[in-house]
Amino acid sequence: MDARNLPAEELNERRREAVRLRLAGMTVAAVSAAVRLSAPTVIAAHKAYLAGGWDAVLLRRRGRSAGSGRKLDASVERRLLTAMVGHTPDALGLPQRLWSDEAIAAWFVQQGLPVPPRRSLGRYRAGWGLQPALSDDDDRQLHALMKSVAHDHDPFWCGSLPGTAAEHRHWLLFARGSRGQLHWSACQNPPDTDDWTRFWQRLAAERKRPVHLLLSGLTLTPGGELDRWMSAQTPPLSWTALPMSPTVTPAAAQSSNPPPAVTRSNAHVAAAPHHSAIKPRAPMQTTPEAIDPDTLTHLQRLEAESIHIMREVVAEAENPVMLYSIGKDSAVMLHLAMKAFYPAVPPFPLLHVDTTWKFKAMYQFRDEMAKKLGMDLIVHINQEGVAKGINPFTHGSAIHTDIMKTEALKQALDKYGFDVAFGGARRDEEKSRAKERVFSFRTAQHRWDPKNQRPELWNLYNARKHKGESIRAFPISNWTELDIWQYIYLQNIPIVPLYFSAPRPVVERDGTLIMVDDERMPLRAGEVPQMKSVRFRTLGCYPLTGAVESNASSLTEIIQEMLLTKTSERQGRVIDHDSAGSMEKKKQEGYF
Amino acid sequence: MAHVSDLIAQDIGAYLKQHEHKSLLRFITCGSVDDGKSTLIGRLLYESKMLFEDQLAALEADSKKVGTQGGDLDFALLVDGLAAEREQGITIDVAYRFFSTDRRKFIVADTPGHEQYTRNMVTGASTADLAIILVDARHGVQTQTRRHSFLVSLIGIKRVVVAINKMDLVGYSEATFRRILDDYRAFAAQLGLEDIVAIPMSALKGDNITSQSEQMGWYHGPTLMGYLETVEVDQKRRLKGPFRLPVQWVNRPNLDFRGFAGTIASGVIEPGAAIRVQPSGRTSTIKRIVTADGDLPRAIAGQSVTLVLEDEVDISRGDVISHKDTPAEVADQFEATLVWMQDEPMMPGRAYLMKIGTRTVTATVTDIKHKVNVNTLEHLAAKQLALNEIAQVKLSIDRPIAFDPYESVRETGGFILIDRISNATIGAGMLRFALRRSHNIHMQHVDVDKATRGAMKGQKPCVLWFTGLSGAGKSTLANQLEKRLNALGRHTYLLDGDNVRHGLNKDLGFTEADRVENIRRVAEVAKLMVDAGLIVLTAFISPFRSERRMARGLLEDGEFIEIFVDTPIAVAEERDPKGLYKKARRGEIKNFTGIDSPYEAPENAEIRIDTSGRDIEQTVDEMMQRLRDLGILIDA
Repeated sequence: MDARNLPAEELNERRREAVRLRLAGMTVAAVSAAVRLSAPTVIAAHKAYLAGGWDAVLLRRRGRSAGSGRKLDASVERRLLTAMVGHTPDALGLPQRLWSDEAIAAWFVQQGLPVPPRRSLGRYRAGWGLQPALSDDDDRQLHALMKSVAHDHDPFWCGSLPGTAAEHRHWLLFARGSRGQLHWSACQNPPDTDDWTRFWQRLAAERKRPVHLLLSGLTLTPGGELDRWMSAQTPPLSWTALPMSPTVTPAAAQSSNPPPAVTRSNAHVAAAPHHSAIKPRAPMQTTPEAIDPDTLTHLQRLEAESIHIMREVVAEAENPVMLYSIGKDSAVMLHLAMKAFYPAVPPFPLLHVDTTWKFKAMYQFRDEMAKKLGMDLIVHINQEGVAKGINPFTHGSAIHTDIMKTEALKQALDKYGFDVAFGGARRDEEKSRAKERVFSFRTAQHRWDPKNQRPELWNLYNARKHKGESIRAFPISNWTELDIWQYIYLQNIPIVPLYFSAPRPVVERDGTLIMVDDERMPLRAGEVPQMKSVRFRTLGCYPLTGAVESNASSLTEIIQEMLLTKTSERQGRVIDHDSAGSMEKKKQEGYF
Repeated sequence: MAHVSDLIAQDIGAYLKQHEHKSLLRFITCGSVDDGKSTLIGRLLYESKMLFEDQLAALEADSKKVGTQGGDLDFALLVDGLAAEREQGITIDVAYRFFSTDRRKFIVADTPGHEQYTRNMVTGASTADLAIILVDARHGVQTQTRRHSFLVSLIGIKRVVVAINKMDLVGYSEATFRRILDDYRAFAAQLGLEDIVAIPMSALKGDNITSQSEQMGWYHGPTLMGYLETVEVDQKRRLKGPFRLPVQWVNRPNLDFRGFAGTIASGVIEPGAAIRVQPSGRTSTIKRIVTADGDLPRAIAGQSVTLVLEDEVDISRGDVISHKDTPAEVADQFEATLVWMQDEPMMPGRAYLMKIGTRTVTATVTDIKHKVNVNTLEHLAAKQLALNEIAQVKLSIDRPIAFDPYESVRETGGFILIDRISNATIGAGMLRFALRRSHNIHMQHVDVDKATRGAMKGQKPCVLWFTGLSGAGKSTLANQLEKRLNALGRHTYLLDGDNVRHGLNKDLGFTEADRVENIRRVAEVAKLMVDAGLIVLTAFISPFRSERRMARGLLEDGEFIEIFVDTPIAVAEERDPKGLYKKARRGEIKNFTGIDSPYEAPENAEIRIDTSGRDIEQTVDEMMQRLRDLGILIDA
């Protein structure tokens, strides 16, 4: 990352952001990545702040004054952009029919301005978002395709990109030739058929040889209207649809937009509603770098769906409750609940079915969260199980889970008369869950009857039930594990520290690393707890939850590790190994 | 996850940024087992590298053990491999599967191809933006292809990919592809499916799935994955529609805040916009769009928000907030398409619960226009609907609601029917248009209301609905009761069956349909009079429960007092004040209640009177006492 070419204001802004993020507790490496400054610069800025306050953070004046150097003068750039977005070059009296580096140079001459050097033009283009790129593999494929038609055609790779220049909302249509030469035009809205036909007509008119189009981001049907239009041109246009579409390279996207971390931390400083422990973030809906404000991202759609489900439950249930397991899925579910009922506090309590064998860190986290959020927390323990001394070591995971979790949950639901319980199960967790409904019905005996589940159409959920029957509602059914982590990352949702790597005492037992969390764990002959750098991918009862060796100590590292890992999430859960189809059986019995 | 692992390893921040901006495409795959549907889904999961090593190892082992591909990877096993899953016997069988590529996240609704197809497919399709219809290149367009396409068009999916699969088994022949495509287009035109993309492929061999097939150089179109990654998501179309927000929940954390929470079904909204609340018709202006992330300057279809209005407007769950100038229609009778989803058949005239948007009402199918043979699209006459049958019906509900035709807005035009006894979801449907020209008429809010008018007269307005056999004594009793009420200074009006038929209803005869209309008009008039503050007495045979229930439904709780004049038929026939029983016995009158047409006695009438052998004054005393007990008659 070469920041030397940046104007001083931009650099200062980055330096200030770097300091804010450092103060907010981010690591130097993370800040460096977020604001795109080198690590020594981040450290220097932070030190300067500590020594002399905010003024000291700013750069000393550099050699030339801003704007006088190689960078395009701001007013000139605005004029050029206005010309480019509103017109084709020939409409301005220039010889070219589409914009290109030549056309830009001609414009400068026409305006009586000195023509900037060629290589600067590339940088301006990048600033406008005009830097179509493909992954290396795709690029190789593209070149091969171009070569295959090059003997009698001029091949052009065509696509469209959203413009990123701040003051102009526009879309760029581009055609890139086999030697990388770019032609482009701009339009106000995402390009439609008319925009493309006009563009191709102009492109074809600039070339002596017939043009072959390699299309990405738009699709044609053989024999369709557009195909017929192409055949009707003289000479006819030929085309191939590409499977790949252009990406805005990170460098281009960020040169004119603040990086996301910066935006978020601004909101962080702004204000915090007193009742909420969830740190406010810039809303996803209005994130400035959202590529198209009219298309919700997958996370926005998932969030809206989950909120919709929660509100339906609250509107139709008599006495709802949220099952809180303290894990990451619970954390996301709870965060969504805070959003669904904002500014009210969610109108239901949290229920933790405590097996008494959770990690100590989980209990601590649970109590802090409930206190911070101002929600009622009900902790239920199966006292009969405690009296009988049920534990995972002597009774095994199956009996322990059945009595301390499944039975305990039924007890709690009956005791408090809850008719709908939110759970954090996801359909991608396991094959048998792929068919689970969002509203899952349980008989008065808490049994799940596979033959008696209701179809769910559109976003209409049927929450009617007879007295005694209950519903488990799964608002995050359609989230995947990656979605959960991404959302935790974007929304800065607090999670139990056990997810992060740290030196912890573990023993290896039956091929699984088990953490020795308290003195109740009986060690077998020869077992000596060792300190290892480990973390947990899922959290449950500590004797039943396998740790993985890891150095991932930040959220991004966890996500990275999760994506690169080669085994699925539930590998670490002892419970799933007990017998084939064990999840299915547990569900019928009332376990989630 | 090899295809993205470089970026993940080198720059996780850039990868997350990319993932953050992915859009979501939900699609459904239609086809039977033989078309290679499971293989296709398995292939997409595999190609998107969404499988972990332990899953891959299991796949390899399973392929060797039970696979059908001679030891090669059998992708179908990824989707329906587990015996446990196959045997778990869920009746409504839609499995949702997830994968993502560099550009998009996908949710696939996977429905099995065998029995229960209609119900499952309609369920899976209801949330899909796009449908993939699989065609086996060896067999071309089949009956089931037509059925799948019909269901896709029925549920309003605009984009269809015709996946012409198993091209490897027809020698990758372009002629075969063209022929199937032409066949399909001819058929799809009848259904109004327009956006069709046909892709020749082999899911088994991987041709045109993620990379251009080397075997089919003649095909220049997109690969399947390429198309799925770039096709415009349907969600964008919803922005162009009129603004609609069905209110889910009224958020009132304290006296200073009153917000209306819901998911925007269609359109765009900004603070300052003038809105109309439906069906009440009240208007106001958007003050704020509240979310936990801060107020929004603009919210679009698909977002879950909370609206705060400038004025104190009475709004509750089930109401629809619309743009003032482009409101939804308000109606209580519709033509609709209905898909029946349970074993017990649908009977016209039976009452069901209907959930549409966030409102639940009582609905009755009044008439089946025709049912549709899903294989041939033929229209057939029908008296009832069996499981998995689809019909065009007339639907009547117990109170007016705001709605849009399903084609315009899915969320305010799609509904489910719920059984009132079992609470099961038993049907799903799509409102097509309002009947009886009731659309475009919006309720005008008036300030002087029923309560005000009633208070002026010092009474609680209501309807005293007399029902019973001809000659039971309804008119006589009603007449006496009205006299007694008048003596107490009550303002009343008696609607008598014969009198009404001399004026308002003189165009109606005695066919079943005319009788229903007769009662509907009387009920509507009675409702107006109650609104005017009167105590209304009606004396009609009104033999059918459904009509009386309809009349009751027009009024508010407690306003409809059903008085069952329970005179045995022998007594009534003996009285025969108008000589009608004798005529009926001689066959001169058809459809005479009690003789050749049934009388459905009320089950829970508020007042039941037996007049046989009793003094009329005594009976009226008794009725007055009951009215006092019911709180209708409050002594001044």
